[in-house]
Amino acid sequence: MRTHTIYTYTMLVAEGLEKHYGAVRALSGFSLSVRPSEVVGLVGENGAGKTTFARAVAGLVSLDGGTLRVAGVDVAAEPRAARAALGWAPQELALYPTITARENLLVFGGLSGLGRRESIQRAAELSVALELTDVLDRPVGKLSGGQQRRVQAATAMMHRPAVLLLDEPTVGADPITRQAVLSAVRSMADEGCAVVYTTHYLPELEVLGASIAVVKGGRVIARGSRADLLAPVPGRAVLRYAGAPPKMAAHMSTARAVQIDGSDVTITATNPAAYVATLLASHADDVNRLRSIELSPPTLDDLYRQLLQATGRADVVCP
Amino acid sequence: MSSAPRARSRIGTLIRHEALLLARAPGPVVGYTVMPVLLMTVLRPMLERVAALDLTTGMGGTAQAAAGMAVMFSLFAVKVVGAGFLQERTWHTWDRLGASPARTSELLISKAMPMLIVLLVQQAIIIGFAMAVFGLRPAAAWWPLALVAIAWTGCILILGTAAATLVQSPAQLSLAGDIAAVLTSILGGALVPAELLPGWLRAVGPLSPGYWAMRSYQAALVDPGASSLMGALAGLGCFIALGVVLSASLARRQTDG
Repeated sequence: MRTHTIYTYTMLVAEGLEKHYGAVRALSGFSLSVRPSEVVGLVGENGAGKTTFARAVAGLVSLDGGTLRVAGVDVAAEPRAARAALGWAPQELALYPTITARENLLVFGGLSGLGRRESIQRAAELSVALELTDVLDRPVGKLSGGQQRRVQAATAMMHRPAVLLLDEPTVGADPITRQAVLSAVRSMADEGCAVVYTTHYLPELEVLGASIAVVKGGRVIARGSRADLLAPVPGRAVLRYAGAPPKMAAHMSTARAVQIDGSDVTITATNPAAYVATLLASHADDVNRLRSIELSPPTLDDLYRQLLQATGRADVVCP
Repeated sequence: MSSAPRARSRIGTLIRHEALLLARAPGPVVGYTVMPVLLMTVLRPMLERVAALDLTTGMGGTAQAAAGMAVMFSLFAVKVVGAGFLQERTWHTWDRLGASPARTSELLISKAMPMLIVLLVQQAIIIGFAMAVFGLRPAAAWWPLALVAIAWTGCILILGTAAATLVQSPAQLSLAGDIAAVLTSILGGALVPAELLPGWLRAVGPLSPGYWAMRSYQAALVDPGASSLMGALAGLGCFIALGVVLSASLARRQTDG
């Protein structure tokens, strides 16, 4: 019978992390906490500090300030105990190309404290979950890029870590790889693992049901659930008419985001559907000239763009 | 599982893994074992004639050929040791090892152990071939020969580690390794008996670890005096210490960077 560990405390806590490389501040007051079974999507532009944070959690970067705890263990005080609780897959491929996928899995399993038999069993489980069974005994160097990505993700999951840190695990990956990795990550979270998932592919975070942390300038500038973060972000509605659109009611014209372009009316608002309903109700006579309505609720990409355009602490959103 | 058994388990995993990596790319190791045997066979008659002319005061032709080839081709194997570390960097796997619960000492021991055995086997085959085919025998006992092989292998391992921290690419390692191996072999008297070298080369010979390796083999193969063996081994010890300091400081600088 397989048992799952139930954790009752925050699995990953980063408070006020600082890391300077000369004049460059890679981490500048970086704070983040992740609960068991929570998936946090870490998003931000290149150089924002995501990878430095990941490397600090992995114990590969010595911090200039702040505290970092993995599974309740202080990374600075007990680095090896902290590393034992962590599964880390770095951004770049980091596998042994001359040996097989299975041999790679066994070495990382053994390094993380699994016995030989346990490692063999876990490698078999993960190969099914990540659709690697057919290539398990082929040298990693001969696998496709997507297969290599899946092997790398599997190596981080071998010992069922308390904290799983995946740094852009699907970069350049095909849809099969993407789906397999996402599914395996979700399973890990369902087993109680706290997951930090760094990505530029924001729709993946929706699939994972992840909460989101937006990183900019070495710190988290926004943190919360998808719904909370998207609430103030405007969405869009486009109404297409046959002929000229109806003249906007006075109350509609006060909405800065109502634009008329030929026969199209574009509404940009936090709740565009409400505007559409008002417009249709107040211009019932024109409804028969309406050809189409396109409703585009705000996406994580919109949030991401909005936050990255903003600067300074006044823009911090922490619902 | 408590800490010590876990460490043993990790070291066991890593040693198996390192042996597997070596087994999957055996070419250089096989080459550096077969080539010296062939060269020794070809060079021995010439070195025997040179020894008969009383131009040298050291080893006989067979001992010179066997020890010289063992020293020279184990120096070439520095590249194999260095490549083991360099590959971990180019494959980005060193970081992953560093992010595991293993101590740095566990990683280094595990990486060194299979190569230690390979280098000892390489020297055993070369010297053993000379014994089996050409009748070479140690001066007194077997243990000094074993001691020399172990000390020289330790020196090779640390030189390889230092080389890996100095170079940036496999091409650099190959070029620097080949030139350094030939130069060190010449200075040490492994290719040509040291007494036949020009005076200025003889003067700088002791700066080469190959020189002390040849002196050590000479002591074990033809000079039964314990003091000469210990003196030569002390010379090798200095290079091991120097290599440790150099590797540690270069590795620290890379980490800080």
